[in-house]
Amino acid sequence: MRTERLSYDDGSDTAVCEYCGRPFPDDDLLALHRGTRHFEQLPDDQQAAYEAAYADEQESVRLFRLKALGGLILVYFGFLMVYAVV
Amino acid sequence: MAASCRWSRCTRRRVISLVAGVAAVGVLAVPALAHGGSLGSAGRESVAVPTWLVLLTGGAAVGASFLLASLVTDRSLIAAVESWSRGLIDSGAVLRWGARVVSLLGLVVLAVVLFVASMGPQQPLANLGLLTVWVGWWAGYTMSTYLVGNTWPALNPWRTLSRVLPSLSYSYPERLGVWPATVALLALVWVEVVSPVADQPDFLAGVIIVYTAVTLLGTLVFGTQQWFDSADPVARVFDHYGRVAPFGRDRDTISLQTPGSALADIAPATRSEVAFVIALLWVTTFDGFVSTPAWRSIVDVVPVPLSALYPLALVAGFGLFLAAFYGAARASKRITGTCVTTASLVREFAPSLLAIAAGYHLAHYLGYFISLLPALATVATAPLAPPAEVTLLVAPDWFETVGMLAILVGHFLAIWVAHATAFDIFPGRLQAIRSQYPFIAVMVFYTMTSLWILAQPEVAAP
Ligand SMILES: [Zn+2]
Repeated sequence: MRTERLSYDDGSDTAVCEYCGRPFPDDDLLALHRGTRHFEQLPDDQQAAYEAAYADEQESVRLFRLKALGGLILVYFGFLMVYAVV
Repeated sequence: MAASCRWSRCTRRRVISLVAGVAAVGVLAVPALAHGGSLGSAGRESVAVPTWLVLLTGGAAVGASFLLASLVTDRSLIAAVESWSRGLIDSGAVLRWGARVVSLLGLVVLAVVLFVASMGPQQPLANLGLLTVWVGWWAGYTMSTYLVGNTWPALNPWRTLSRVLPSLSYSYPERLGVWPATVALLALVWVEVVSPVADQPDFLAGVIIVYTAVTLLGTLVFGTQQWFDSADPVARVFDHYGRVAPFGRDRDTISLQTPGSALADIAPATRSEVAFVIALLWVTTFDGFVSTPAWRSIVDVVPVPLSALYPLALVAGFGLFLAAFYGAARASKRITGTCVTTASLVREFAPSLLAIAAGYHLAHYLGYFISLLPALATVATAPLAPPAEVTLLVAPDWFETVGMLAILVGHFLAIWVAHATAFDIFPGRLQAIRSQYPFIAVMVFYTMTSLWILAQPEVAAP
């Protein structure tokens, strides 16, 4: 919804979507964009590129989740201790 | 005295305990009552939690909510939650008749308020006009706009009046955007802080008459719709709060929707729209700030007359809040490397702040509203000769928990809306999460600023 009204920097032509003309900073993000917005229209190689980029990203998303959970636990016990002391 | 603490001031200490309790409910699950229970009594010595810890806890609650939200990375799930809605009433006739009844009510209330405020007893707690405006309307009715839905377009008596008046329909200068409403909002808060509009019924009546004159003149020149969409601060405030609410109206349909989902289409979200959102968040803060000792020492040190210092501080703080948000958008652009312009990022992320503003409003006013409601009801039975004794209700202890939850839910909602925004804009999941870091940092800054003010001992504004 929001994507319809976004404005983009001039002269950003590193990786432009051939279906909607939106620019992206690199090919991975372009592949992810194509897959999320135009999946049905994509030829096989672009679908494959999307799936590869998605799988690539999955690894870092999983890592982030671990860190987030770790952070939550840290905050929880940190405050538990602080409140016990104060 | 009671009426002059209409705003955050007299509920301040209560809120400190609320926020200390946020940690308990939201982050720690430690019983909140250990700290919160002691707060009803007078004197700030009873606040068991030191200020730095209150600030830290509030900030951490925001951060922790973000970490929780960031665990949800399923694009279709996020979109489905955001776009969910269920039609309830689907009848133009019912809505039109409902609106007519409500607008009639609005006119009657305005007439009564004006009459009683100028002719009735002048003690604040005995005046139905004053109580209606501050307790019934600014506390109670405002709550209904974000808890239920925005009914102001129907209730707004000035809109009703303007529709029967002619209109010259001059074209509204588009480049002004909602700047007039932003400036007017700041101006109204300035009047509220420096004038006796909160304690003196006849002064309140005067302010309402001036507002009426300006509003009707504006609608006469530019047309009803244009005026209330762009220049009238009150209609803007309720429109924005209404977008946080679970009920929404689209033409002839009233639907139940995901709270906060309507924030996505504050459209067309212009630069001035962003300024209005930030102004709304800032004015709640400013109102508390002027009764802190910090403000008093600024007044003592800065060699500027008071009459100039208030508007100066009002504008400076607004500029600071605005600059912080723009800074966050620039940082977000740098972190994500996106080709989307900073201006677009600012516009898309700003509306999420409204959920925080609504949460604070509820925490500030719920206790105040409940305690003065009996006074409003009593005075309403005999507006011109109210009983000498007016009962004030002491809010029960569990109200602190409700306020606590309000702050917490407001933050959750804001963070969720920002999360949905990020996943809508950015193709990468990690990119979408990272894009929020600076905005979360700014939310933490806003929160800690408000909490710091709430934790200050209260002194009369100079
Ligand atoms: Zn595309």
